[in-house]
Amino acid sequence: MLVTWRYRPRKSLIQWFDPRAWMIFYICYIATTVFFWDIRFLLPLIAIAVIVLLTSGLSWKEIRRPFLFIIGFIVVFTILTFLTGRGGSEVYKQEHLIREFKAHFSILGWTPDLKITVERAFYAVSQFGRVFGLAVMTILIPYSLNPALYGVTFRGIGLPDKIAYAMDLTMRFIPTFGRDFQLTMDAQRARGYELDKVSGGLFEQVRKLGPIFVPVTIHAIMGSEDIIDAMDLRAFGIGPRTWLEKLEYKRRDYFLIGFGVLLLAATLAITFWGYGGFWVPPALLNLGHIIPQ
Amino acid sequence: MEASANRKLVGVSIALVVILAIFLLVVWVGGTLLGIQRLQTGENPFLRFVFVGIGLLIALAIYLATRNNDAWKVGTREVVWMAIGAALYAVFSWLFNGTVFFIPSVSQVTLRPAIAIPIFFGFAFGPVVGFFTGAVGNMFGDALTGFGLFPQWSIGNGLVGFIAGLVLLFKDRKKSLNTVLIVSAVLAALAVVIYLFNRNVTNGFYFAAEEPVSIFAGLSIIIGFILVLIVRFAFNKNIDLAAAVTWGMLGNIIGIGFAAISDIWINGYSPATAIVGEFLPAAGPNLIFAAILVPLLVVAYVAVQRQSGR
Repeated sequence: MLVTWRYRPRKSLIQWFDPRAWMIFYICYIATTVFFWDIRFLLPLIAIAVIVLLTSGLSWKEIRRPFLFIIGFIVVFTILTFLTGRGGSEVYKQEHLIREFKAHFSILGWTPDLKITVERAFYAVSQFGRVFGLAVMTILIPYSLNPALYGVTFRGIGLPDKIAYAMDLTMRFIPTFGRDFQLTMDAQRARGYELDKVSGGLFEQVRKLGPIFVPVTIHAIMGSEDIIDAMDLRAFGIGPRTWLEKLEYKRRDYFLIGFGVLLLAATLAITFWGYGGFWVPPALLNLGHIIPQ
Repeated sequence: MEASANRKLVGVSIALVVILAIFLLVVWVGGTLLGIQRLQTGENPFLRFVFVGIGLLIALAIYLATRNNDAWKVGTREVVWMAIGAALYAVFSWLFNGTVFFIPSVSQVTLRPAIAIPIFFGFAFGPVVGFFTGAVGNMFGDALTGFGLFPQWSIGNGLVGFIAGLVLLFKDRKKSLNTVLIVSAVLAALAVVIYLFNRNVTNGFYFAAEEPVSIFAGLSIIIGFILVLIVRFAFNKNIDLAAAVTWGMLGNIIGIGFAAISDIWINGYSPATAIVGEFLPAAGPNLIFAAILVPLLVVAYVAVQRQSGR
């Protein structure tokens, strides 16, 4: 039995547009966000994500769990980035040290050392902004896109019939397999298996994942036979596919697509001329001194 | 109709090559000759999309060279398997990427069991299913986890499943295994030699910025290779099992290698950082999963296949 995402028709900004127009805008938004590290350019993008979230028609109760999970993950990820400076070397070459905390002990020859620098702090802020925008825009899609329109939407943005249908099924299967995973884990727990307590050496840990991994995968493959039969009986793939639902663009959809494409084109131009890279307010640089490389 | 489809595909390939050539020319002229900073190596999101094109071209070139083979057939079954593979890969990535279930890393080696899915789907159902499983599954997995967008890594994961599925191009699977083993051994040895000469490079997947790659993480590719070798020869008579792990190993080395090496241009890493800091900590442990979880999946699948008669 397929489990679906929690979609329902809502009076929302996303659902006001044709799903194909929204997907094209979403792709442009993602590509645009990936190009920027400058918080000044990221702020308008974050604002767009917040507006879309606030006008999504979703109640806090509906979105609480996934939202807290993703935001919690982003916060932890950002804190780790700030503490370790991981990834920063890709966007800045020089650091201005504000304060340094060095441990008085060593772990296997490694002495924990925390350097608080202006660049690390701003890199973490930029990182948070980027991932927050991407996550919010992504998380809203399953709640706002009618599952009956997945296939026709992907077809409508130019994918071939078979790939569009494969994408449609992928989006439908994800919550189903999530549920199957939970059921399998409960069944194995009843037999005394505890995934939360997987212990032992590396090989032992890998081997112990088998009782979860194998049944979920094989059950999914066995279950596919019914879907394949149903599709074959309807002559899937014999000729060009027609879709039950028909989508038609309205004027507002062309505006949205135009806005998305314009956003991306402007981003390409801006980054080509050297703007949008990592930026730190010059006044803050005086707070610390340069760390010699 | 088939001839027209082929012509169309050749046309698309040529267009892609021309576009890529223009991109690379712009990067070279602008970055190297004119000194435009944005086009020089360093954090460069633009090149992420160029490498997506390069990855797709690699797959397309292999397809064009062998397009008459049945391995490329995409019917109803393949469409459903693509979707199942991608959805499973996304769900397992989300669950095991240290977000829902935290499986402790061992000596800087992060466990990523989900990689067994594209390898298995590629091996069992062909390169197209393998590619879709790896690429789309990785994309959805990253979206579910909130990691952001790393398109070149999605293509790298796609190549893992794609190459694992190339075994279907060979009528005699056994004959292909020795060549695959030799190629994999050479690539693994090369990576380890680079590691031995660059022991101070930090681990790109481990949150301890100044800690160099551990010996275990650096040599995990050799441990994985030995495990694959053991499975290959211990199950000499079960050619399905031997082929799955052996081709899965090559797919993993090339796919993850592609993604890691692309970061030399995308993120401005040195070749040593890309190979020691990114490739080895990711590809080495993946081989351990290929050697342990993929055989379990193959054995279970063959049993189910026998039972259902399909």
